[in-house]
Amino acid sequence: MEATVTDVIPDDAELRAARRARVLAAMEAAGVDVLIAGREPNARYIAGVPRLWINGSRPFGPGCVIERATGSIHLVSTWDEGVPDDIPHENLHGITFNRANTLAWLSKIEGAATARSVATDGLMPSTLGLIRSAFPQAELADGERLMAAVRRLKLPAEIRAIRTSVRIAEHALAAAQAALGAGMTGRRLTAAFMEAMAEAGVTTPTTQDVAWITGRDRHWAQASRDAPVAVGDLVAFDAGLMADGYVGELGRTMSIGGLPPSARKLRQQWDELWDRLLEACRDGAPASGLLDAYDASGATAPPVPVARGLGLGNDLPFVTGALRRTAADQKLEAGMVVALTAYVWEQGVGGIYGQEPVVITEDGPELLSSAPYRRT
Amino acid sequence: MTAGLMSAAVGLVPDKPDLARMRRDRTGRIRETMRAQGLDAVVLLGNTNVVYATGAIWPLSDASRTYFEQPVAVVLADDELPHLFSPNRADPRMQADLPDDHLHGPAHLDFDEGVEAFLPRLYEITGDKAAIAIDEWTHALRRADVLVGATGAPVDAGHIISRAKLIKTPDELACLRAGLRITEEGIREVQSRLAPGVRQTDLTAVFLRTIFDAGADANILDPIWQVMPDRIADGPWTTTGDLALPLLSTERELEAGDVLWLDLGISYEGVHSDFGRTWIVGREPSAVQREQFQRWRAVLDAALGVTRAGARNSDLTAAATQANGGKKPWLPHFYLGHGLGIDSAEMPFVGSDIGEEFDASYVLEAGMVLVLEPVIWDDGQCGYRSEEVVLITEDGWEPLTDYPYDPF
Repeated sequence: MEATVTDVIPDDAELRAARRARVLAAMEAAGVDVLIAGREPNARYIAGVPRLWINGSRPFGPGCVIERATGSIHLVSTWDEGVPDDIPHENLHGITFNRANTLAWLSKIEGAATARSVATDGLMPSTLGLIRSAFPQAELADGERLMAAVRRLKLPAEIRAIRTSVRIAEHALAAAQAALGAGMTGRRLTAAFMEAMAEAGVTTPTTQDVAWITGRDRHWAQASRDAPVAVGDLVAFDAGLMADGYVGELGRTMSIGGLPPSARKLRQQWDELWDRLLEACRDGAPASGLLDAYDASGATAPPVPVARGLGLGNDLPFVTGALRRTAADQKLEAGMVVALTAYVWEQGVGGIYGQEPVVITEDGPELLSSAPYRRT
Repeated sequence: MTAGLMSAAVGLVPDKPDLARMRRDRTGRIRETMRAQGLDAVVLLGNTNVVYATGAIWPLSDASRTYFEQPVAVVLADDELPHLFSPNRADPRMQADLPDDHLHGPAHLDFDEGVEAFLPRLYEITGDKAAIAIDEWTHALRRADVLVGATGAPVDAGHIISRAKLIKTPDELACLRAGLRITEEGIREVQSRLAPGVRQTDLTAVFLRTIFDAGADANILDPIWQVMPDRIADGPWTTTGDLALPLLSTERELEAGDVLWLDLGISYEGVHSDFGRTWIVGREPSAVQREQFQRWRAVLDAALGVTRAGARNSDLTAAATQANGGKKPWLPHFYLGHGLGIDSAEMPFVGSDIGEEFDASYVLEAGMVLVLEPVIWDDGQCGYRSEEVVLITEDGWEPLTDYPYDPF
């Protein structure tokens, strides 16, 4: 496990510098003068400051601002704990419930009066008005697209951080799997995962639906979280957490006493699907190859993404059957880290769900899990 | 031991929530406002707004899945049932007992292709001439130049939910009370393990384990067990010159005599709980600490003494300030009190930086829920903070929590 952490500290200085350089270069290329981040992954990437984890989406509001000409960063934080020296006290702005107070500090940042292009990573119906007031000369630009492109390819230190998160997720997943027994419920298996995760020093999950009994009468169905597990049930585990901001995720399927004989054929199908998916995970290949892999294997893709990027959260690629054209337009590239999902289902048997964190390299895909799900 | 606030049975809250009735009441409240404003439909993206409109529960957790996989709700003025667009439609909690023709596949509104696919489905439901408001906007929707008015921005639907959720339905109160009970079960277990040498993250482990076992749907914030300094100057620098709170928990080992300020919350059926207490590690409170607690009680009692439907926020802030010898007994970056429901801090905000003018004009109503969280601080001798959740009634308030103030 990791060294014990007893202080709230900013992200590593070199990592911060490298990430910011990428952001500033992308702003330069897009002609963006000021970028306003409301989404925590983007704010973390820019500022390198751990802030309180809160469940669910948040309405867009300025949480972190970076200005291109000076590289200066403003952050919403009432205190300086976890804030690096390169964000001075005068650039910290306290929590506010008053829009006028937000407007006041926003309009005072360097270059606000002359900025021509201001990008935000989210929008509210009121955001246009806020931007017009604080940046009277500026056009609004899409900061989410800019940041998603910047964060898409990982720095080596980011891949190391994701590896660490995967290792802790595996540890907590093992505890949840060890708790699997007759009468357990999805909710209680989730409880076991959460406990082991926090005992390992990480208190921020990326999903709170860690285990569910796969449905036998419908594709991608799941039983109630309070349904007791019975022998023969295929129980899916979806483990995800964030250590030092970076997401590690993996998924497995288990049954009490091992997979039942009725699921053997399904398991074989899973292995075949997985091989096709991994084959599609090549540097330069279109991300839609992952959807093609499902088609070729005859399996119906789940309605959730078959691949999502791993990083600080909300990472590209985002590959799902509902967005075929988007998938075809995205390339898988060396330096991407993806959580790759293989799911197969059979009437009367249930589903087998497996998710692997994979780094795409020039030499092919590299699995981050210490015990990959694919049988050898 | 000093007993918790809840001494009498609460007669206003049903024992068990009726979830179908809860959704009917909530969409009824939304639709009432829509009709008053001439709106035919509202589109909702914000996670908790979708929960409010549909009753769907999904333990979507953090940013890694939040924005790209955001469920979307559509409420029509002339339809009792909401529509739900979600990738998780096979999850029974996500279906929320909606009929098949009101359940749709995912709407990925962060993506241009997602918007292109969503719009025809939306107009099929609403008709393409409908007056539509939306709570959150995306760049992809903006690029498509849809759902916008003359200003170039959409009509904001957020305020409709803000207004609807102010007054709690009886079943929301039942969910809130159940959620508070689950939270307290977790807290009780944690408190029994509190000792020198235990790490903050160990407390979190016990809390998370217990709340999920006890029926929580989700934890809603990284649990806070903040070790308080004796003096403000011994803590981090702040923009206000006052205390920093909440600071993140780490693997720090607790020591005998540490004063902990707690802040936690969970979700039960989409309704959030909130919990705050002051604990002392491995020791009984000193005379000074007991006196601080007594002052905190006096401030709380003073604020509750004027809490009733028809009271203004400023009545509460004035009473609390007077009981604290003229000094505001709350943190300047927060408030004396806040609402609680589908969000862990929602209107009404009492004593916030929205300002004194707002507090003087804001009138509390029966059916609102208020979390009061006064702070007593003696610089050099630390202080005391707890939270109490109350329901505002016509002639006063009803307690919704019942957890003791041990070790005080």
